[in-house]
Amino acid sequence: MSSLSIPTTSALLSLQLIPSSHPTVIKTLTRLSRPSLLSLALDWLDERNIEITAPYLADEEEEDPNDLYPPAHSLDALRGIYSELQAGKGTKRDVVDRVLEGDWREGINLYQLAMADMQYLYDHQASQKWTALRIVRLSSGADDTESTKLKSIPRFHPATFLRNLKREVLPDVKAHYNLDRHPTLPLLILRIFIVESPYNTSLALTSQNETTLDSNKVFYVAFPDESPFVYVSLNTSLAAPNQPISRLDTKSLRKLTLEGIAKAFSRPRERYKLESTHMSARNLTALVERRGGGRTNAAGGGWSIYASEKDDGSDNPLNMQLPTPTPSTPDKDDSGQNLDEENKENRGLKRRQPENERLVKRRKMVAGIRFGNIAKADDGKGIEQLTIRIIDPFPSSSGAHVLPDPLADELGALDPPPKKSKGRRSTIHLELEQDMVDDGEEDEFRPTIDMVFSGSHVFAGIRELVEAGVVDGERMPGWMTGEEGVSLGVVRQGRVRGWKGSGL
Amino acid sequence: MRPSPVTSTSKFDVDNPIAAQLDDEIASLQSQIASLKTRRKLQAATIISSHSSKSTLSRLRNSTQPPSNPATSVASQTLSPEESNPLFATSKLQTLHNQQNLYRFCGTITAFHIRDPDPNAVDSGNVLGLRIDVAASGKFITPYYIFLNKPFPDPQLLRVHRHTVPSYIPLAQLASRHLPHGKGAVAMNALKGEKRQDLTRFVRALRREIVAYHNRISVINCLRKSLQLDENSSTSRKGKGRERVIVDVSAADAEAKQLRIEWHDGRIGRCAVDGRGEVRKCVIIGEDGLRDRDNERAVEGGRIEGIADRLKEGIY
Repeated sequence: MSSLSIPTTSALLSLQLIPSSHPTVIKTLTRLSRPSLLSLALDWLDERNIEITAPYLADEEEEDPNDLYPPAHSLDALRGIYSELQAGKGTKRDVVDRVLEGDWREGINLYQLAMADMQYLYDHQASQKWTALRIVRLSSGADDTESTKLKSIPRFHPATFLRNLKREVLPDVKAHYNLDRHPTLPLLILRIFIVESPYNTSLALTSQNETTLDSNKVFYVAFPDESPFVYVSLNTSLAAPNQPISRLDTKSLRKLTLEGIAKAFSRPRERYKLESTHMSARNLTALVERRGGGRTNAAGGGWSIYASEKDDGSDNPLNMQLPTPTPSTPDKDDSGQNLDEENKENRGLKRRQPENERLVKRRKMVAGIRFGNIAKADDGKGIEQLTIRIIDPFPSSSGAHVLPDPLADELGALDPPPKKSKGRRSTIHLELEQDMVDDGEEDEFRPTIDMVFSGSHVFAGIRELVEAGVVDGERMPGWMTGEEGVSLGVVRQGRVRGWKGSGL
Repeated sequence: MRPSPVTSTSKFDVDNPIAAQLDDEIASLQSQIASLKTRRKLQAATIISSHSSKSTLSRLRNSTQPPSNPATSVASQTLSPEESNPLFATSKLQTLHNQQNLYRFCGTITAFHIRDPDPNAVDSGNVLGLRIDVAASGKFITPYYIFLNKPFPDPQLLRVHRHTVPSYIPLAQLASRHLPHGKGAVAMNALKGEKRQDLTRFVRALRREIVAYHNRISVINCLRKSLQLDENSSTSRKGKGRERVIVDVSAADAEAKQLRIEWHDGRIGRCAVDGRGEVRKCVIIGEDGLRDRDNERAVEGGRIEGIADRLKEGIY
């Protein structure tokens, strides 16, 4: 530790130690489950990390007999201890104590803290709410050359990006940046840990004050591979109610970070900005599907059958076999007539049973047409909230684009019209209201209806309702199938305005 | 509650090893049945589209047709030969399918008409589907689809409704150039106009981008192969004397328009390739910060395919 601390604009170093007794450290580690804590400790002892995350090893001379966790003599011995712990049983508390008071008694450095935090993020996919933003090129008016114009994705070079981002951070806060590759998804996750201190030495971290080191000031930015989107998670829900930190603070930091991201992407004569895509979810897998680099971005709902690869090779033009009819090919109207005719024939005593079976089958087929291969309850790609505002004129007699009543009753999710609330959802309302500008209002009765569908997998739930016959699968509007790919939208004439599915 | 029986059977499997074994057997038999079925279908398709069976069928049809011809009034009640014999129907379908396949792999852009399942869809659900078949490294990959509809007040103007084109293909830019909408946009059949939509040009440009992307990817793979980058060190033990000079060649961005070349002595090169495959620019910088002009010239002098050969000339 240097004796002199000078305010500086550079970032915090990964090697900066935080004392093991610091509440943030203890909190971060105790959040983890025992198996992930042990694998984390073994990661710290791994060859690749050992230079940064070296444990406390025993010296030859002094050995304290009173030491509860006698330090190991070599790395291999320590690895053995943790592998043994992994095989055996015990409480989480023991492991945390062993890590903090034994093997890393001198402190946990920022890199280790970041690793622990990332581990928690991977263990609890739903712990962060991610908002997908599109990186859009700022048009300068003057037409560029063709080659640059045809570039759809700004190039992302992590080191350059970080260097640029560091430039945008204010000098009175210090941040620690850690980039990590998601274990399963094609994502690069940047963790920004902000410390309110002008110093980048250990002085900034030794303070026991909880406001300077606060899990509230951890921001995550995820960069999906080969895609013009970023996912940001800037408002963590971990904020304890009685924390002395003001809301405004986090808000301004959030704003600065967002602006910084766009600026860090930019280069001279190539400026970018971030644009909302009306999509946010807790599930990263769902986001990668809807706003990723693959084929599924603009092919949701029933269209997903075109995006998925056919295993049997029926997509291949060299395949001579006649395609077997998939659930999407039979015409709905025809099958409906057939069904009716068959029902008429079946008017016997045992009418009910076969009719029900046919009906169930038919509903399943309709659900298959509307939802395609997605929105299955076990695919793990669920978004947990869908907010829809309907601004269509109120139907006088027949309304094809209004929800069937049973669903509304069932979900009980019909929100009252907004009353300028200043609550948590104010940003949502702001976005919705922006969409409502330039509406040519006529004399019709146009109630504004907000609907919030929430659950662990909204579209799978709707699919199940269609299969169960609660929702009429044929009259159901398209936005209920998730094919528009938004989690927040304004519906006009039965269709989501603005984003329009393809995003073009 | 449909899921419950499924979970209970799987639990049953865990408990009972014999049941699990039987299940395995059933699964293997079923996969056998599936493979046999596909084989049968393939054979049937081959037979029915073969030349001799076609001629046999046409002879059969001719022999059945004359009696039905004079009685035109009865023809509406009796079935036409296509319907009376399933062979005719299948043969017709197969011919159509073969023709479609022929268009797909020769023309590579095919169009079809589908209906939007959304009851509120514009233009009563009429959607034009475009299928672009692309072959990459000797195989046809999953085709790319674009769906267009007509949501605008001018009923002739098209718009991209849905698509399965990945982000690294600049679809939005192509659409804004060739399928403009908004003020002043006119449909394709208009003879002139600043903002005339042109579907043909749009699809051609799009296909060009897609094919160029796949070509770049396969060229990068070829470069790796010719520089023997993907071979394990154990297999290439024989040529011990020839150490690898270039240790890595890879695409540096999503569109694969930039290449990253890495030398064993720490030199790193970047080169930019244009849409036609010509190397436009190249920078090679060593660890000492000095540029390697000779190799830069070698990389820049030609097309992307020749990079490896041109570099090799300098090395060996």
